[in-house]
Amino acid sequence: MSEQVIINATDVNKTFQVKAGEVNAINSVSFTANRGEVTTIVGPSGSGKTTLLYVVGSLEKPESGSIEVAGRDILDSGTNLVRYRRENIGFVFQFFNLVPTLTALENVMLPMDLAGIRPDEQRRRATELLDRMGVKDRLLKAKPTKMSGGENQRVAIARALANDPDIILADEPTGNLDTATGSTVIDILSSLARENDKCVLMVTHDESILAVSDRAFHMVDGQLSEIIL
Amino acid sequence: MRVFQRGFRSFRRNLVRNLIVVVLLFVCLTFSMSMLAVKLAADSQVQTIKQTVGNYAEIKISSAYQMKQFEAERTKTAAERSAEARSLTTAQEQADRVASLVPEKLTDAFAKDQYVKTYDKVLSTSVTLSDITNTNIQQLFQIRENNGQSAGGAGGGGGLGTGGMTSNSFFFSGNTNGASASDFTTGAKKLIKGRYFTYADYTNSNPVVMIEKNLASQNSLKIGDTIEATVSGVSGVGSTMELKIIGIYKTVESESQSKSSSSSSSSQADFNPAGSTFYAPLSVVQKLNNTAGYVTLGSYYFDSVDNTAAIKAAYKKDATGTTSKYQLSTDLSDYSSIADPLLKARNTSVIGLSGALGACALIILLAMVIIISNRTRELGILKAIGSTDRQVISQFAVEILCVCMVAIILAMGATALIGQSMGNWLLPKTTTKTTTQSSSSTPGGAPGGMMGNQNQLYKEGSSFTTSSSTQKAVKLNVVYRGTLFLYGILILVGISLVGMAIPVFWIIRLRPARVLSME
Ligand SMILES: Nc1ncnc2c1ncn2[C@@H]1O[C@H](COP(=O)(O)OP(=O)(O)OP(=O)(O)O)[C@@H](O)[C@H]1O
Ligand SMILES: [Mg+2]
Repeated sequence: MSEQVIINATDVNKTFQVKAGEVNAINSVSFTANRGEVTTIVGPSGSGKTTLLYVVGSLEKPESGSIEVAGRDILDSGTNLVRYRRENIGFVFQFFNLVPTLTALENVMLPMDLAGIRPDEQRRRATELLDRMGVKDRLLKAKPTKMSGGENQRVAIARALANDPDIILADEPTGNLDTATGSTVIDILSSLARENDKCVLMVTHDESILAVSDRAFHMVDGQLSEIIL
Repeated sequence: MRVFQRGFRSFRRNLVRNLIVVVLLFVCLTFSMSMLAVKLAADSQVQTIKQTVGNYAEIKISSAYQMKQFEAERTKTAAERSAEARSLTTAQEQADRVASLVPEKLTDAFAKDQYVKTYDKVLSTSVTLSDITNTNIQQLFQIRENNGQSAGGAGGGGGLGTGGMTSNSFFFSGNTNGASASDFTTGAKKLIKGRYFTYADYTNSNPVVMIEKNLASQNSLKIGDTIEATVSGVSGVGSTMELKIIGIYKTVESESQSKSSSSSSSSQADFNPAGSTFYAPLSVVQKLNNTAGYVTLGSYYFDSVDNTAAIKAAYKKDATGTTSKYQLSTDLSDYSSIADPLLKARNTSVIGLSGALGACALIILLAMVIIISNRTRELGILKAIGSTDRQVISQFAVEILCVCMVAIILAMGATALIGQSMGNWLLPKTTTKTTTQSSSSTPGGAPGGMMGNQNQLYKEGSSFTTSSSTQKAVKLNVVYRGTLFLYGILILVGISLVGMAIPVFWIIRLRPARVLSME
């Protein structure tokens, strides 16, 4: 069991300074997430779910606590966070966040390009990933605006997988999709965990996702409590 | 490598937005570049002008002194004058002869100035040739007699030592080297047979002369023939000198004139004022004039108009105590009349250039603010998926470089088209004389002519060669030159750097978490 733990967050705190004062977006949060599992965080709006995901993805820096990923604390000053994001993390967002001027294929190739992978290898892997995500060939050269929400999200997941990270951080990946499309996206993500041994950490409003989750947490006012499934 | 591809792809994919910036930049850059082209053209033209104009000086009798002498002479009665002539001692005669000349001591001393590049000295005087008749002077005498004037009173402007004109009088121009006599360097006269007298002829006082073509043929003279000249102020032995003809020249101007006015009256057609001039080594002319050690003028080219003040100061030192008698004349006014409009155009263009470049900077800054704020999410995505700030910045830099490059290439093309009109537009609308004033000296004024017209400089050639003033507008030739291209690259780099300032600042400060959750 313990060798499956890839994320080990301990006593993480994140406060935002706002005009009214301070917001304790994350309040003494400790949790673990495992490889090969879908870990889900549910909770009301403004409870700190996205912030927690960004803290794990190193896009936000917490004031205190430790976040060990594969045994290394990413909050250590020596950690190369750009490299960490590039190699260990794949992000999937509610609003897809594809580069609008790039085609589906180019969007998937982009993280590999940034990592310095050879162009033909980029192309080969991107095509393969898009194929696995069920993106039709004719869409490879399509821009995000020419694709449906579901297609966008498949491309986004393919992009998250481009550099073969251990962890997929998905922030309400179905939030902008209809129910049917949403459940296919969930299927894709859970299969990534089960078949490819990824750690999928997912934030959602949608309690029905708990059904496919291996572990689940409830977040309220920056505090996390595990839900016994 | 990949950065270039990504940047270029981004440039292509954001084409409309980028092209708007390109167009705005293009307009301002075209303005900048054509201003720059005007500036460069004006600079180089002024530089070229400086090689030939504004770097000339000559030392001669001052106009004030000449006026004074002339006034003194004029107020004398004819009786006084002849009484004076009779009572003159040899020494006084000699003093009179050189009164309107410049001592070589002075012209030689000045030639040693560090700025002086070339030095020539000239003695112009009239010489009596016993075998040849000067048909021009003969005609003049006839005209004067017809008008009831006495020929004796017509001594010309400053012809103190050359008062006794006869129809055997000819105008002799002596300098140190025939080929560098200004009439030949200006192209007004051309050697057609024989050779120029040389510097060696001058140092050895070889009795050689160059004669005008028509005069030679009228008198059946050819190369190798000799003519007899009278030495002024000497009687008995040594009162004549045999001069060997070594060169025959033609007068370009008079030829073309006589061609164009062939139908005019016969007396006008025969009139060939240039024909009465002989060119001989200075030392020979000095002997003939009996004025060894004296010249009409010293003629100098110095390095550049920029040293005019230094040259004048140097002259003041050399000519201490004699400044009222001699003067240093330069062709500074000639230079100014050509260079000033160019310099004005240049200054205006510099102002326009800075304004336009400022506008370019403003455009690119504003454009970047708009573009960057529109693409914040894209930048956030790049950073979130593992792009370093450097990668994002370089990609943006390439994109901006593309924008600026397209704009500047178009601007260079447009500059090639409109640069000239810009130059014409900036050039002050004044015409200036590019050559000297018209010289309206009568033939009788010829012997004293060089001195008679104080405004005329030796380098411009003798009076008759420039028969009419040439009013020519100063032209600015805005040609496309390599330096403009180099400056274009410099502007490209500059504008791109300015354009980068905002993206760099923005990209470094951008926190992806702020933009990724935005709808
Ligand atoms: N950059 C920020 N500056 C200030 N406050 C912030 C910032 N980001 C988040 N917050 C605050 O932190 C709290 C948690 O926000 P967060 O976005 O994590 O909530 P969430 O659970 O993801 O909500 P939602 O379900 O609506 O997405 C909120 O009160 C939010 O206003
Ligand atoms: Mg959220």
